[in-house]
Parts: sequence; structure tokens; C-alpha cells
Amino acid sequence: MNVIVCVKHAFDEFELKADESGNPKFQNAQMKMSTFDRNAVEEAVRIREARGGSTAVMTLGVADARKSLREALAMGIDRGYIITANPDDHDALTTSYFLARAIGKIGGFDLVICAEGASDTYHGQVGSMVAAWSGLPHLAYARRLELQDGQVVCEEAFEDRIEVARARLPAVVSVVSEINEARYPTLLQIMQASKKPIDEIGLDSLASTGMPQRVVEVHEIKGQTMKRKGIVFEGSSEESAVKLVDALRKEGVLKN
Amino acid sequence: MVLVKEVHRQILRMSYQGEASNFVEVLEGLSRVLERDVLPLSQAIDGKGSGIDAPRKALFKAGLCQMPFPSAYRGMGFPFSIYALAMELTGYADASIAMSMGIHNTVSEGVSRFGNEIQRKTFVPDLISGGVLAAFSLTEASSGSDAKTLKTRATRSGKDYVLQGSKTFITNAGEADVYLVFASAAGGPSAFIVKKRTEGVSFGEDMPKLGMRGSRTSEVVFRDCRVDAANMVGEEGKGLEYVKQMLNSSRIVMAAICVGIAQHAYDLAIRYSVDREISGNAVSDFQITKEKIADMITEINAARHLYFAAARLKDMDSDYSSEAAQAKLFASEVSARVCDRAIQIFGGYGYTNADVHRHWRDARLLTIGEGTSEILRLLVARKELAKLR
Repeated sequence: MNVIVCVKHAFDEFELKADESGNPKFQNAQMKMSTFDRNAVEEAVRIREARGGSTAVMTLGVADARKSLREALAMGIDRGYIITANPDDHDALTTSYFLARAIGKIGGFDLVICAEGASDTYHGQVGSMVAAWSGLPHLAYARRLELQDGQVVCEEAFEDRIEVARARLPAVVSVVSEINEARYPTLLQIMQASKKPIDEIGLDSLASTGMPQRVVEVHEIKGQTMKRKGIVFEGSSEESAVKLVDALRKEGVLKN
Repeated sequence: MVLVKEVHRQILRMSYQGEASNFVEVLEGLSRVLERDVLPLSQAIDGKGSGIDAPRKALFKAGLCQMPFPSAYRGMGFPFSIYALAMELTGYADASIAMSMGIHNTVSEGVSRFGNEIQRKTFVPDLISGGVLAAFSLTEASSGSDAKTLKTRATRSGKDYVLQGSKTFITNAGEADVYLVFASAAGGPSAFIVKKRTEGVSFGEDMPKLGMRGSRTSEVVFRDCRVDAANMVGEEGKGLEYVKQMLNSSRIVMAAICVGIAQHAYDLAIRYSVDREISGNAVSDFQITKEKIADMITEINAARHLYFAAARLKDMDSDYSSEAAQAKLFASEVSARVCDRAIQIFGGYGYTNADVHRHWRDARLLTIGEGTSEILRLLVARKELAKLR
């Protein structure tokens, strides 16, 4: 079973700082492998551990994105591929196109795993688009993944229901974070990851006629600020509790 | 909280050039484990005075203690200086866990350097992977850490040595599976590996402490405790030399932990100084606060560079005994001073909030443990004066 995982070198959402208007500051912000991609990587490593075969990880990005690839390699993935391109020049449509082209060019994969979305932008489009460009079936929001007789069976966690779906291999599966608990590599595995191969794939080598152009351009990313009422109730605990309940009733939070 | 800072990257770039980015990733990998498994528990560990077992296991699993040992004993073969940086980050996350593991690994180093091949193969892989926890058992009530005047006796009896005496202020005592015990034999101070379950070994109550509350500290008592002579580490009478070398190494680690503690207190204080307003001004707007901030970070960085330099000398097999003593002396005093200033910046909230004052309480131990500041000053001065003779 040969598995490839697509990951994004994303902004570290826990370390993003805001400017005075509450908007995120992206300049010099810390980057890391998108949080949910860790679960996609974990699933691939578990499949290889259980069934043998090979695992690979792929991203589209600049040199710094190798850091995310190395994190996946430290977790147990065998080799990495980087499509060298500035991700700012690409949207989900072109990113997924180049990922699909590269996956096809390398060949031999039974399963492509993506996360449901990226932890910084959370557009959640690349997985399904990779499947579309590759002409492969796509199972989304997988919280459980099983391989049976040349097929993949997933429990797809939609907002209001769980669907159990089956697709023939090769296929693309987008996983949700509850599918597993991603491992933390040991310090030795991190060091050894630097010796695993990472192949560069030039964007030009993937170009073709019928190549899509970027259709979405993000002009601005604004922070959402929440205003709180900041009401302080004075008095004893009993008095404050009564005032709090009254206020919650007024707001419609409590009925009756 | 960002544990791996730009200053760590700078230090690594200065020393390791091309390899620096690999080491940065190793430290970042460790910091993820610290952020997930250690930092969230640290305040509760201080409050309860217990609970370090699970986070300590997580750090063993990540390989923290394997870092500076050769792969032949399941080590990772990292330079000691990288291990020292890792211990700084661990000290940042929880000082008592860092101290417990640092002292444990002093024993690993002692067995690895002075033990015979059988002892190395028997103990080192288990020690450094956390299968076995160790305690360094030197200090006695009447002799501090002076191995020359040990009252614990080791008397030869057939194929055994019989240990009589007691040790005090022993970190990990009672919890640890093995004890590296220093005792006076006929030929002079000698080192023995004593297993916890050996007949004649008993432990005192866990001592209530000002700080470092997560780690267990107590007396270890030996009454007619028979230890197979095969468990003597190195040669009889060479114990004093082993102690010196082990403490040199351990002082670098303790200095690193001091820097970690200080950096944590500093990070809390500088953040608070920006967020907290007094009469319409942020605390950080006052010049007198700026002076504190500047002094704190300057001293922290000086201490960091000092312990890292000592660690690099150790990596290069140069004499580093004075540098290690200087690093531990300076870093421990800086740590206590920085944590004290952090409390001052927080004002009343610093005095009443355990998450602020625990760093000062933790730091306060380290001008005492592993060589008091007074003893370290003597060592450093002695080395300096010897250069003129």
C-alpha cells in the first residue's frame, strides 16, 4: 500500500499576533505544518506500519516549507516532495492542480490523504480538488478509515450525521482530526528526518495545456474582534447571583 | 508561549552553522512535547507537590535523557551543548521535572563514564530511556557535598560491601529504582550502584520544600546494606574524582535549568508590564520598569551564553570545570534575581499568585544545590590563583 499525504506549511495559529486594529500580522509570523495535517500524516504512517508499502509527503511552497516536510518525515513518512512555488501566487484551484499533476507524475500511489482543511485559512477545498483533477473518488471528513480488498471504507463525519462510504482504490481521502491522535516524534527521529530524501519538483515540469489560472485572490485578511459587555455586579455573592440571573434573562440566554 | 527563541537560533548558528537548523528542529520538537505534556501541569505540580511522573515519562519517551549518550547504549549522540539547551527548555516548562531528570542523568553519565562495560550495558540503556529512575546519593548531614569527609562507610565482607550510614537532600529518593551511593571504603571514597529493593535501604519522609515541589527529596538510610562488589563503579578510592567530574557536568545542566526558570519569569513579567495599566499608563511605560526589563534580559542572556560556552568546552574535551562552576554560580544568582524582579513588576499580584512566585521559589534552590554559591566562588578563585603559580 503506497500512500501520499498532501500538507500545507501554514501560519502557526497559536503564535499569530494582531496589530492595533486587531488584524493578524503575517510578516515574520511563525510557520509550521498545518495542525490537521498531522492527523493525515499519522494515518499514513499507521497504514504503512500495519500493511507495509511506502509513504510520501508533498507540499507546494518555498524553501521554508521543507520544515513541514521534515516534521512529517520525523513522524515516520519515508520521503518528501516539494513543488517549488510561492504559495501566495496560488489559490486552491491551482495548488490542487499542481499537487495532482505531481502525484500522477510520480505514480504508483494507492491512496492520497489530505486533512479536511488548513489550520490557518480553513478553506477545505484542496482535497476534493486533487481528487477531481486526478479523476479519483474522494471521501471527505473521514473520522475512520479502513482498507478492504482494494477499497477504502470511511466513516464520514458530517455536521448532522455519519455516513459510511466506500470507494475503490486509488482514492483521495480527507480526514478530520478525530481520526487519530498524532504522534510526537522523538528527538532522534527529528534528527534522522534531516537525512531522508526530499525531491524538488519544478512548477514548469508540471505545466500543461489546459492548466488553470488562479481564480480567487485574497485581498485582505481582517481579524474578528468580539466586544464583551464587561458588566461587573457589585454586592454579596447572593445578590450578584440574582443580578446575574436577571441580566441573563434580559439577554434571552435564560428562559422564564 | 514560545520556548525556542531567536536567541537559541543565534547561539546554534554561531556554533553549528549548517547543522544549526537541524538542532533548532530538535528543540522545537521537544518544545511541542513540553507544551502539550508538561507546561499545562506545572502550576498544579507546584500546588500539590506531586504529579511529575506522567510528564517525566513523556520526556523520557521523547528521548530527552538519551540526547548526550552514544548510540551503542541507545543514546542519540547529540553534543552535550544541545542537551544543555534542551534542559533549559525543560526548566522553563517545569523546574522540578528538569531537576529530577537532570540529576537522574548525572547518574547515567557517571555509570557511562566510570562504570565497566557490563555496568554500562546493564544500566545505561535503561537509565537514559527512563526504564529505570536514578538518584545521585552524595550529600550527608554533616558534610554537605564534600566527598572527602563522607561518614557513610562501605566495608568489604566477602564478595560484598556492607554500607552503613545515611544521605540527605537526595532528589528522587524513594521514587528512584537505583542509587549511585558514595561511601568511604578502605581505599577511600567509592561509588556503588544500589538498587531500591536491596535489604537495608530505607527512605525518610518527603521533605517539604520552598520550591521544586514536584520532585521528591528525602533521606536515604543504609543499615547493614549488602551490595555485590560487582556493583562498585570504577575503582575503589576514586570516588572523589568521579564526583568532581560528574558535578562539573551537572553544573552546566543546573545552570541551563536556572536560565529556563528565569526566562519563564521574565516572559510573564514583560507581558504583564505591557498589559497592566496603572493610572492610565502601562507598567512598561515607566522608565524604572524599562530598567528592570533591560537588566533581566541582559543577565539571562549572559548566563545562557556562559553555560553554553562551558558545554561547548565539554563537547570539545577541553577542561571546563571553572567555566561550569562560573555558569552555575552566575546563572543561579541571576535566576533568583530575575524571578525576584518579576515579582516586583507584578506587585501584589506577584506575591499572591503562585504562578509568578513559584519561579522564584524554584530558582532559590539552585544557589544551594549542586555546590553552593560560596563553594563555587572558592573553586573559581582557586583555579584563577593557580594560574599565577
